[in-house]
Amino acid sequence: LIQGSNSQRCSNRSTSTGTTTARTQGQLWVGATQQQGADLGTGQLLSIDLDSETFVRADQVCEWRSPEQLKELLDLELRDGGESESKILQRCRDAIRYSVKTTHPHFFNQLYAGMEPYSLVASFIVEALKPSLYTYEVAPVFTLMEDAVLRKMIEMIGWEEGGDGIFNAGGSMSNMYAVNLARYHHFPDIKEAGLSAVPRLVMFTSQECHYSISKAAALMGIGTKNVYMVPSDNRNSLCVCVQGAVPFMVNATAGTTVLGAFDPIQEIADICEKYNLWLHVDACWGGAALMSNKHQHLLKGIHRANSVAWNPHKMLMACLQCSAFLVRDKTNLLQRCHSSSASYLFQQDKFYDVSYDTGDKSVQCSRKPDAFKFWLMWKALGTGELEERVDRALATARYLAEEIKRREGFRLVMEPEYANVCFWYSPPSLRNLPDGPELWKKLHTVAPVVKERMMKKGSMMVGYQPHRDKANFFRMIVISPQASRLDMDFVLDEIHNLGKDL
Amino acid sequence: MANMLPFPSDGQVKEPANLRDLGEPLIDHSEGQLFLNEAFKIMMEEVLCKGTDVKQKVCEWKEPEELAQLLDLELRATGEPQQRLLQRVKDVAKYSIKTSHPRFFNQQFGGVDYHALAGRFLTETLNTNLFTYEVAPVFVLMETEVLRGLRQLVGWTEGDGIFCPGGSTSNMYAMNLARYRLFPEVKSQGVWSLPRLTIFTSPESHYSVKKGAAFLGIGTDNVILVKVDDGGHMIPEDLDTKINVAKSLGAVPFLVSCTSGTTVQGAFDPLDRIADVCEKHKLWMHVDAAWGGSVLFSEQHRHLMKGVDRANSVAWNPHKMLIAGLQCSALLLQDTTNLLKRCHSANATYLFQQDKFYDVNLDVGDKSVQCSRKVDCLKLWLMWKAVGSTGLAERVDKAFFLVRYLVEQMKKREGFHLLRDPEYVNVCFWFIPPSMRGKEGNADYQDRLAKVAPVIKERMMKQGTMMVGYQPLGNKVNFFRVIVFSPLVSQKDMDFFLDEIERLGNDL
Repeated sequence: LIQGSNSQRCSNRSTSTGTTTARTQGQLWVGATQQQGADLGTGQLLSIDLDSETFVRADQVCEWRSPEQLKELLDLELRDGGESESKILQRCRDAIRYSVKTTHPHFFNQLYAGMEPYSLVASFIVEALKPSLYTYEVAPVFTLMEDAVLRKMIEMIGWEEGGDGIFNAGGSMSNMYAVNLARYHHFPDIKEAGLSAVPRLVMFTSQECHYSISKAAALMGIGTKNVYMVPSDNRNSLCVCVQGAVPFMVNATAGTTVLGAFDPIQEIADICEKYNLWLHVDACWGGAALMSNKHQHLLKGIHRANSVAWNPHKMLMACLQCSAFLVRDKTNLLQRCHSSSASYLFQQDKFYDVSYDTGDKSVQCSRKPDAFKFWLMWKALGTGELEERVDRALATARYLAEEIKRREGFRLVMEPEYANVCFWYSPPSLRNLPDGPELWKKLHTVAPVVKERMMKKGSMMVGYQPHRDKANFFRMIVISPQASRLDMDFVLDEIHNLGKDL
Repeated sequence: MANMLPFPSDGQVKEPANLRDLGEPLIDHSEGQLFLNEAFKIMMEEVLCKGTDVKQKVCEWKEPEELAQLLDLELRATGEPQQRLLQRVKDVAKYSIKTSHPRFFNQQFGGVDYHALAGRFLTETLNTNLFTYEVAPVFVLMETEVLRGLRQLVGWTEGDGIFCPGGSTSNMYAMNLARYRLFPEVKSQGVWSLPRLTIFTSPESHYSVKKGAAFLGIGTDNVILVKVDDGGHMIPEDLDTKINVAKSLGAVPFLVSCTSGTTVQGAFDPLDRIADVCEKHKLWMHVDAAWGGSVLFSEQHRHLMKGVDRANSVAWNPHKMLIAGLQCSALLLQDTTNLLKRCHSANATYLFQQDKFYDVNLDVGDKSVQCSRKVDCLKLWLMWKAVGSTGLAERVDKAFFLVRYLVEQMKKREGFHLLRDPEYVNVCFWFIPPSMRGKEGNADYQDRLAKVAPVIKERMMKQGTMMVGYQPLGNKVNFFRVIVFSPLVSQKDMDFFLDEIERLGNDL
């Protein structure tokens, strides 16, 4: 999408409470032919009006209702009898109205945001076609597309010899795949005999890692106690001797969830090589930096990893879900580790080359062709534009950080390395308090109230959280190219508006 | 133009991104909306209209290398214009399998429901995750209600549950919960702190039981297979025997995973008698009803799952027979002690803050092992609201009715050899070409028979007339498995099916 002249651009800049001017109506028709409609016993046409709520910079980010109120409004109960078309359409409108507009330019709450139309089109195609990505025969186009996307991502990671991979139902699952492959690589017997047949395994990760590492250890029978957390700034702890246990893996994070920090991959890779440990890089959030010539240094050394998790549904704005798992392996490890060779699906006597049937690389059976959502937008935009978006997001984050420094009452938690800008807001009443337990205790109560107010007003959504011993601070996440410098100013203005009386 | 490299007519030099004015949005939504509308028209025409029309092909077969060329898969530095992209949309539609087509009988999903489809589109546009009330208020409440509705059909007034990315994951969750209930220390200590655990299932169960055992660190060797009868049903007496044997060898049985609607034959394990065995040995009973669960809507056919209310957990995929669309897979639990959350939680403070201004029990995210989790309930909810439980029951009944018709017709025709009378909507049969009829005694009969289905399959795909699966099973050589349930399918399609198999295979 180009940056056109002012007159072409969707001129819907509004304040937080302003109304839109020009709106573009997007009408979706989901039609059945008369014959089919008759057979189905349903109405003829279902039309959903997508204009106001999802595309343009309309009213509010959210229209807050308490759970009890919302239950009443939605009338969720499922009954014996059906309902009229107009009632169903109204239900669609209600679902839209009371849902949070994650595509709104003032939604900064999570590691996803914004609207990528080409990816959305791909999503619609997938929903219409309803394919499942286990065999070439049932999903020929999407099988090839997933392969093309994985290859390109592998190229960007820098594995010259190539690799393997698969798209999963989320980054948590990708991280689990890494754990499974790493342990299978060391001890292939685990698949049949279970973990009891091998010594106690331990893995290392940083304290700032995503919690899916912990969930993976629990689910996969390793146990959370066998996940050793290494303090973020102390890599030497990796050399801790673990009695009677076998270290098998290190998880490094490229772009931590809260602070957006990047583990020093090169140094960690040195340690992994020395001790023969599998290096997995959780780049679910930070992987997008690989697209940018300017910022890819953040992941320097990633080509030395054994496996990488990378979620295009985050910074690159592919529609949820779009999560890739990539492994530096050409021995079919992924398939050997996961396969069960079900004869009703992976027949060996098919009339085409059955190596195209990728289903046995997964632990899922039915699997959605999520890679297509990334492929179509990449075709539409090109690597160049994707790079530009990443650069812009980080430049905007940098602008926000500078602005925070300029303004009284705002204080950065740390200099942003990526697109996470973490800061405290101090209402005037607290600004004269010295740093100390009293200030932190009071400051801790500020963000939750400001959050409540912003949600009830619906002007924006920004996350907050405590972190280790720090009081609640805001975490601004800058992703969407629709968000501009003015939106950053707005966020700070609004936080001040909402919190100055505290 | 989707091409991002601007060539402004005023001749200005393109500034590097970091100096470009950050004061304006970078993308233009009117372009995007235009593309969306144009692409949607193509989808309607190519996928939803042609894709459900019996006069059109089910598939447009291409060899992988040829298809790769046609699609021009390479991802490049520059973008492409709208027209090119619209052509790509057409190509994707053209070369993809029309899974909603009335002659797509290949898998346990198919057909189309327009309300569910609308729900899926709506889900995509709203683009969110189902971890907290603050970010997905409507859907958190909706998921709870849908799970309640499904549980009610199982026969539970209370309970718990969650939507998973597929039945395989649901089965894995059940395994994890069963293990955790017996040995909660496994969450922190791992399996080394436990005795050897064993799982019991039938050889006709879904392969995700084995994959789950490997993934969870239990090991596929510890999945004990229980004998089945001729129809593919687990034999409860053998289950009891095998459990006793396992115990005598020092192992700890902890889970029985039985199936309501097996993948190939569509058999329903005898749940009441299995429940007796599970109760006796105090084992977690999980019912994989991913495929068969929807019979619970039907007064006429729910008896197939008699005893399901005695289970601890049930996996049920509405994206199969109910046509909700991938993915729509529920795991239902009888438990009311918050076991799901206790088993899976990690209490991440950046997501599940305890000082939120609403009741944080609504933040369901910690019940899952996923972080991001798609909204899969809307499509089912919208469809259920539109047609009601009665409407959904009608579909199930109609499917059985059609199958009965197909079987009757099949029996009238020479050359069609049913494995057995179907219990569900999987119809398994061999087609015996004329040249082989009466020659069952020949030494090479089985070998020759095994080759028939693959050739017919190749022909049907290359001609695009229909899609049906085949597979071997145990010592039975390749046979067809036709799955009939789509509301778009009629008796005419059943007649066509039989005619077509004959047409494609008579010369073999």
